[in-house]
Amino acid sequence: MPSGAVFIVALLVQVAAQAFGGVWGAAIGGVVIGLAVRGKGAFRVGFFAAIVAAALLLGATAMRGVPVWHWAGLIATNFTLPAWAIVVMTLLLPALQSGGIAGGVGGLIARASPKR
Amino acid sequence: MARIAFAVTSLAIGLGATWIGARGAGPLPPLSAVLSPAVGLWVNAMDDLPQEAIDRIPALGGQVDVRYDRRSVPHIFATNELDAIRALGYVVARDRLFQIELQARAGEGTLTELVGNVALPADQETRRLGMPRSAERTLASLDSTGETMQFLRAYADGINAYRTSLSPARYPVEYKLLNKAPRAWLPVHSLHLFNRMGYTLAHAPVELDLLRARALVGDSAARAIFDTDSPVQEPIQPAPRNMPREALTALPAPGAPDAAAAKLVTALGNGTRALFGWSREPGATSDERTALAQERAFASNNWAVSPSRSASGKALLAGDPHLELTLPSIWYEVHMVVPGAFDVGGVTIPGLPGVVIGYTRALAWSFTNTGADVMDFWRETVDDAKHPTRYQLDGEDIAFADTRVETYRGPRGDVIAVDTVYYTHRGPMQRVGTEWLSMRWTVLEAGTELMGFRAALHAQTATAFLDTIAAYYQAPAQNMIVGDTSGTIAIRSTGRFPIRADSGRGTEIREGNTRRNDWIGFRSVDRYPQSVNPAQGYLASANQEPIDPQYDPLYLGVDGHYEIWRALQINRLLRADSSMTADKMRRFHTNPGSVRADLLVPAFLHAAEARRARGDGTPSLEAAETLLSQWDRRYTRDNTASRLFETALSSTTALLYDELTPAGAQQRVATPSESRLLQLIADSGNGWWDDQRTPNAREDRDRVLSTALATAYDSLVTQYGDPAKTPWVWGTVSPARPTHLLKLEGFAAPPTPIDGGRGTLNPSVASRRANFGASWRMVVEFGTEPVIRATYPGGQSGNPASPRYLDRLPMWASGALDSVRTPRTLADLPASDVRAALTLTR
Repeated sequence: MPSGAVFIVALLVQVAAQAFGGVWGAAIGGVVIGLAVRGKGAFRVGFFAAIVAAALLLGATAMRGVPVWHWAGLIATNFTLPAWAIVVMTLLLPALQSGGIAGGVGGLIARASPKR
Repeated sequence: MARIAFAVTSLAIGLGATWIGARGAGPLPPLSAVLSPAVGLWVNAMDDLPQEAIDRIPALGGQVDVRYDRRSVPHIFATNELDAIRALGYVVARDRLFQIELQARAGEGTLTELVGNVALPADQETRRLGMPRSAERTLASLDSTGETMQFLRAYADGINAYRTSLSPARYPVEYKLLNKAPRAWLPVHSLHLFNRMGYTLAHAPVELDLLRARALVGDSAARAIFDTDSPVQEPIQPAPRNMPREALTALPAPGAPDAAAAKLVTALGNGTRALFGWSREPGATSDERTALAQERAFASNNWAVSPSRSASGKALLAGDPHLELTLPSIWYEVHMVVPGAFDVGGVTIPGLPGVVIGYTRALAWSFTNTGADVMDFWRETVDDAKHPTRYQLDGEDIAFADTRVETYRGPRGDVIAVDTVYYTHRGPMQRVGTEWLSMRWTVLEAGTELMGFRAALHAQTATAFLDTIAAYYQAPAQNMIVGDTSGTIAIRSTGRFPIRADSGRGTEIREGNTRRNDWIGFRSVDRYPQSVNPAQGYLASANQEPIDPQYDPLYLGVDGHYEIWRALQINRLLRADSSMTADKMRRFHTNPGSVRADLLVPAFLHAAEARRARGDGTPSLEAAETLLSQWDRRYTRDNTASRLFETALSSTTALLYDELTPAGAQQRVATPSESRLLQLIADSGNGWWDDQRTPNAREDRDRVLSTALATAYDSLVTQYGDPAKTPWVWGTVSPARPTHLLKLEGFAAPPTPIDGGRGTLNPSVASRRANFGASWRMVVEFGTEPVIRATYPGGQSGNPASPRYLDRLPMWASGALDSVRTPRTLADLPASDVRAALTLTR
């Protein structure tokens, strides 16, 4: 199982990837995590690192004065959704991107290098 | 094996989520571009006006300093005119980048490239009307080094400098939702946008209404209600009397159908959308009809008072254009100072390089729409009914002036439709049913207006302003009111007004096979409706017939193009007070008084009483009568009876004009103006009152009005409940509600109660869909220089996440106005009043 240190590194990777990688950021971060955490656990590390990274970045916007809940409510109204759905999707989308790709890459590589 | 399966499944989830995040799926926008905290809509919530900013516009001649005051109005200080226009383009783009592209595309007929198939009908109408061709031809006709071209290029330079400074993370919200990037702004885009304004204000074909009415009720009855002057005259050019003139002559009753008109209606079939507009389509939905009702409510007020009738001895001016209330607002407030050249402020239409309504140090001006008939149609004879190449004119076959293949593309560049638009010497020609109709429209021949505005900025007097504008201004015709610091007030209905052959009227589709049916000229400026410092001491326009036909019978338009109620109300208020102040004029803007209610409510009450007296009353009628009789006929936001009056009027119209609904159809072909009601109410036995659907009974005025009142009451009880328990509070059931340009519900304003309703000085469409009204309010007092107070519903920013998106709405709803700052120099704006600074360099 990946250690806490691995998770911290994965989190840093995700923060950097999401902050600077545009719409591909979480996926790129997922590839890096998958390569680093081969085998079992890559999905979870990628998933949770991305979700926490997104939460940190969202928290940063809140600290810069963004009324997160209010703005989420306005966006959500356009899609006939509740505000929490926008917040959840904000966290969940990069998590699925990162976790899915990390799990896939990690799983495939783990088979190719079974000793690890 | 299980591990492989898990890995593949996991990868599929990851790639699928990434694809949806980056590219979207079906109706879903790219979700990462929307939701990412780093590049999505969350970024827009942080991207408001920075306190200090520096940017470059490569074409600048010198540095430009911009200070945003506490009202978020940018004050632009430049050393030459073109730099000021470049900076104007920059600051407008900074706050309204998506809006300018959307509105220019609306005039260009390329909305489908932004929003897809949903906009195809609108784009087809725009192109079939010849609007993009007109803009392109205007641009091609400009001297490439001339002043107009320089202005258009300078404005584009400013917009593009801002646009190219943006990373995708900072694109406006709408681009992210649509997965598009802002396109480069070209000089022709301003011309498209100007044409779009022409469409909004001067696309009012009356021919089809009259034709269809003739086909149902005969020539005499149809002309009496659709092709005559307003029955009450309170004109813009003051008539030599101190009261309105009523001409409530008896209207001829509906008669036998006009066979020739019926034949042409059949020939035109259901294809009238092509030239007459989607809202006149016989198969239009009720939503489209509602939109038409709103279109007809486009209106405006302006008025001015001479020093002799003001408390301060200074001239006063007020203006409030009524347009669709959108977010962002149609207007953007700005102030530009170029020492030695101009010092001008007011509101610009984002996308147009200039101030449309505003002030200089010497004068101030405002507009209302003239509503003149500047669009006519001709029935052409062509050589091939399906693919024509020539048309007949004076016995010869003539080649078309132009043939354009219009290609409509979707957001990804794919072709979604193709059209061919032919042009005769008059204008665009379209197949309508089995006929080919061509059109001439002054809007398509305009193009020098921008230079008129620029030249007029140098005027020092009201009359010089009007004369300068008139030399350039062609369309859409506007009632331009001006006041100056010397105390002069003046008004002129300015624009090209066609003169027709024969009857001189523009209400019928003419035969196109002879030039004798062409326009034969335009009114000269001295024949424009106008007045300078009138003896009555004030001037007022509110979209009424501009000149009493008793004093100038030359055709300008028909009653259906005008509205009389607000003109009667503002004249009533101005006549009653010879000690006017700026604050009283501010209160007039939201005055809830209604001449319409004052004239029509008694008729309902009389009808209800008569019905009861005959022993034919019902509980609903009695309850409605009680409610209406207790109403003070003022559209205050807390009154509980105006909703009943509005609904009763709608019911009356439905019952009264049943003859205008073809057999088997659900909707009327056209609806006469409300002022016709005054003529019919004065004639209780007129045949129009009789319901053709009840051949064994003959209804009269009182029967119809009382039935309409009771029906309205019952329908409102169904809709809102018993008024004794849940009163039909006007501000609640008919609030104003500015809507987002893309109709995004989350970015609309909250329902906002206001004082005012249809026919009052502060109009509202009076329905839950209400979204038009006073789009800008301004009151000016002329001392040594103009002192201005103003506001509009919305805010300067087009970003829905910005605190400046809706910050002006509460003030607007309350009827208050803000003090407009007019600094001559940077130093004149105190630091405490500076919200942000922007420095623009080469």
